[in-house]
Amino acid sequence: MPTPDTDNQHFFATNKAREQACAAWLKAQSKAAKKPILIAAGAGILNGLGVIAQAALLSFILQALIIEHASWQVLVKPGLLLLTVFIVRSLCVYWQQTVGFEASAEIKSKLRQALSTKFAALGPAYSKHQQSGELATIPLEQVEALEAYFSRYLPQQFIVSILPLVMIAVVMPINWVVGVIFLLTGPLVPVFMALVGMGAASAQRNQFLAMARMGGYFQDRLQGLSTLKLFGQAWQELDNINRIADDFREKTMAVLRIAFLSSAVLEFFSAVAVALVAVYVGLGLLGAIQFGPAQHITLSEALFVLLLAPEFFMPLRQLAIYYHDKAAAIAAADAILGILEQNEVLVSRVGNAFLPTKSVQDKAREQNCITSMPFRAPPSIEFDQVDKIYGQRQVLTAIDLTINAGEKIALTGESGAGKTTLINLLLGFEAPTHGRVLLAGHQITQEWAAQHIAWVGQNAGVFHGTLRDNIAIASPGASEQAIVNAAMASGVAEFSEQLPEGLLTAVGERGYGLSGGQIQRLALARAFLKNTDIIILDEPTANLDTGSKTLLLDTIDRLFKNKTLLIASHDAAVIERLSRQIVLQQGRLVS
Amino acid sequence: MKDLWFFFTLFKPQRFWLTSGLLLSLLTTVAGIALLTLSGWFISSCAIAGSVITFNFMLPAAQIRALAIIRTLGRYGERVVTHEATFRALADIRSWLFQQLIPLAPGRLSTLRSGDVLSRLTADVDALDALYLRLVAPVSIAAFGMLGVALFLGIYSWQISLVTLVVLLIAAVWVPWLFNRLGQMHAERLLVLSSNFRIRQLELLQGLADLLAYQAYERFADVLAEVSTRMIATQRQNNRLTAISSALTLLLGQIALLIALTVAALAVVEGSLTGADAALVIFCVLAAFELVTPLPQAMQMLGKTQKAAQRIRQIAEMSPTVVQENPWLDLPDGCDLRLDQVSFRYNPQQNWLLDNISLDIPHGSKLAIVGPSGSGKTTLLHLLMRFIDPVLGDIQLAGQPIKQLDPDALLTRFGVLSQRSQLFAATIKENLLIAKPDANPLELDAAINAAGLQTFVQQLPDGINTWVGESGVKVSGGEARRIALARLYLKNAPILILDEPTEGLDSHTENEVFNALAKFSVDKTVIMVTHRSAGLGLVDEIYQLQQGRLLTVTHSNNQ
Repeated sequence: MPTPDTDNQHFFATNKAREQACAAWLKAQSKAAKKPILIAAGAGILNGLGVIAQAALLSFILQALIIEHASWQVLVKPGLLLLTVFIVRSLCVYWQQTVGFEASAEIKSKLRQALSTKFAALGPAYSKHQQSGELATIPLEQVEALEAYFSRYLPQQFIVSILPLVMIAVVMPINWVVGVIFLLTGPLVPVFMALVGMGAASAQRNQFLAMARMGGYFQDRLQGLSTLKLFGQAWQELDNINRIADDFREKTMAVLRIAFLSSAVLEFFSAVAVALVAVYVGLGLLGAIQFGPAQHITLSEALFVLLLAPEFFMPLRQLAIYYHDKAAAIAAADAILGILEQNEVLVSRVGNAFLPTKSVQDKAREQNCITSMPFRAPPSIEFDQVDKIYGQRQVLTAIDLTINAGEKIALTGESGAGKTTLINLLLGFEAPTHGRVLLAGHQITQEWAAQHIAWVGQNAGVFHGTLRDNIAIASPGASEQAIVNAAMASGVAEFSEQLPEGLLTAVGERGYGLSGGQIQRLALARAFLKNTDIIILDEPTANLDTGSKTLLLDTIDRLFKNKTLLIASHDAAVIERLSRQIVLQQGRLVS
Repeated sequence: MKDLWFFFTLFKPQRFWLTSGLLLSLLTTVAGIALLTLSGWFISSCAIAGSVITFNFMLPAAQIRALAIIRTLGRYGERVVTHEATFRALADIRSWLFQQLIPLAPGRLSTLRSGDVLSRLTADVDALDALYLRLVAPVSIAAFGMLGVALFLGIYSWQISLVTLVVLLIAAVWVPWLFNRLGQMHAERLLVLSSNFRIRQLELLQGLADLLAYQAYERFADVLAEVSTRMIATQRQNNRLTAISSALTLLLGQIALLIALTVAALAVVEGSLTGADAALVIFCVLAAFELVTPLPQAMQMLGKTQKAAQRIRQIAEMSPTVVQENPWLDLPDGCDLRLDQVSFRYNPQQNWLLDNISLDIPHGSKLAIVGPSGSGKTTLLHLLMRFIDPVLGDIQLAGQPIKQLDPDALLTRFGVLSQRSQLFAATIKENLLIAKPDANPLELDAAINAAGLQTFVQQLPDGINTWVGESGVKVSGGEARRIALARLYLKNAPILILDEPTEGLDSHTENEVFNALAKFSVDKTVIMVTHRSAGLGLVDEIYQLQQGRLLTVTHSNNQ
């Protein structure tokens, strides 16, 4: 069956722009952890200085030993110094890692906070359309995947820009020819890598993407396995998977074979530097060449520069090793940005509800009335020429509606007619595209609505904790008596009394599994305890059999006798109990 | 370890590539060590000799150049070959896994929260690439390299050889082992904390509307932040251990160097070791520590890779939900279905989900089963298609118990339309061809028309050859359902299973889907499951499933 496009090059190209955006974002994030990143880099550089000192001491000792045949007493002092250098280097390694961790810790916390705020700002209208399982991995796994980038990669990048220069500066006065060898081979590495094509970086990226793509293809087929089996195509698809894996491998290896030339280049220069230095100083010591300072070279100088030759390339090689941290971080940044970037779409769409459009005085007055001025007169609700448009699709058109305090209203209409959208507007989860929704004379915001409206959705959330905690979600400080009353009134008590621990029974994931009807009653208890003037219920009788339905409706009648009540439903048993009916048809009100 | 060993055996067909990769890596590493060692010796010898007359510099100089070239070429070859090996081995594992999962679909897979499980499974397979590249390769190179270095040093001084070997062994085996052990407590706590975080985050997202409406979001988010803080604190402790172990590994290497230096110095003074050989030994010890530096990381990979391997095996080795009876009987000709006193529950502690249900469904009959969600409607459909077997009772196709039939052949009789329309990352055409691989263009056109897809397809850039699914054109829920409908048309199976076929569609699309179904199902059996009233015009009989029993029977008059 399907033969996917295995042309990686094309795929990489289309991904490049996004990748650059993600890389830029990562860089911007690192500003928050500038200090630990610099300190970690500093520890790494100090370690490098230790390497230089170590090379100097070692070559001094070997010179004394081999050429000067010094007695061992002479060697004790440099030996002890060497031991000191060793200890300092070990401490540097420790510091670099622990301080590097702090860089990532800071950023991880900050990002989790930002995501959490963002989820709330996007509201349920957004998360409803996403796989919540996938969404939940973002603050955990994806944020975690950034760690190595900040704790290892960035400090290393800094080290690479400093340490080789320091080494050249140290070597120059001792042997300028070797200094020139370093100077030439060092910067040549990036140049040749670029010439070879893409560099070690790009090899890693290609490999990473190829893996991800093949994994994605495999996952796609795995997820559709049941469908494939229904059509009798499962075994045929196995051939495809094998064929495509081969195809992928061949094409990716064709790219990698070129890209790996860059690791060879890195290896080549570091090997050649060692070989060149060894042969040059060796021949110099033999007096075989006259070029540069070769003639006057001592063994200790020769050994010193030889020891530094491989170390000169070490930071760069380490950076190449850490490169997959960057590739992983970019993939994670893509997912995280996917959420955080929702921002702009939302501000423009929800703008008029969340951003203050009123004057400062109005705003202050509103604040006043939220915080101090209690509402005695029950609030009314007003829809004023409200349109709601998602992209091309107009869901609500010119809604004009007034709901007075104390009214009992059924909101009906086919599914897809806009009932849920209307309720979302009322709750401030979304903002109208045109027009205004007023509650007690004020434009609705999510916070404003939350203070006046108790709402029971179709799928009420059950949270990790006890039944009691779940009822008291709106008012964690509610008195025991109030909670018991709410449990009694809503019918939660009926089943909680059967449970060994009553209201203290743990529910939610890993806890006692509540049935649909029980969750419904729990949600009613919440609404009751909240004791607001307006109650909105969304399809409260869906998923219930006739017996529990009557029970529930009686409870609703009793609980919310004095409130404004709006129930969205297409259940005749519900509609007949309510005094007013509002009908939505393809986004318009019909009476 | 048993799980990892299991995957090693799966790697067997690629042993040529795998061992070649290892040999090349070993060659490269050894060449690197030899290069530095030889250079150190060469320089010292030159210094001692002091002139070209007493020292033949040509050979070692040539050897140094040769080693530099070997190291460069070896590195390149090692990169290419190890990656070739990894890609091949992973392809083998994917293929093996897919084969293992085929018998588990759809019965067993549907009992898992399949989306999550399958995506984790894919990630786990990818994680196995570390098994070779970052675990087996560095460990075996370290083992062979250490042995080689110890033997080589032994030529010059057995004391230095012994000291180096012991310290290398401590650094390679004892340090990673010790710190892994010390970190175990943190690792376990971290596991608990992150699963806690995941659950709470999920709750927060799923209950977002309630939390916002009840002004409780901030409180819950604070709890989550608290879990995150504790997670980071645990990671900090763990990281500290890792840092200590890296520092210790470095220190060990340098202590070995210091001891080697002391022993060599004494030997030189004593006269049992020449000056040049002393330089050689010191440079060799210095370079040898390149062997153990990747090992702490390999040890960290071990735990992760082990977990991945374990999860893959757990899923791949589940037993299918239906027991196959060999040999199978051929599929009978008729299409009458019959449920004979069928009872079902998922486990013996539960009440019966379906309780003693008997029902005749002659070919061409059209019925709907309604009832609240969770009442067992979908389970009933799964029983009919033998995704699962009843606990009691018997299901027959044309008088033949379906248990005796080839399960794959049985599925050719059923066409399914459900609320999940699986689209593959492929072109629309290829997505349709799943239903009938040999369909000709005329048949495809007919299917597209029947499903009401013609306008949608016409406005696509490449028409029927447009890529859909991941990294393709976005397809709405309604369009995806129509593509599934076109597949149903192409397959042209005699029994149609409609499982909430229009769930999640707007009313306009819903009507169109039902109209298309009505036209197409004239001479077919229709078994529809729904909890809504829409579409009931399609059927003649309506059954209500409640508390495991088929209760009310309504004869609809084709309203």
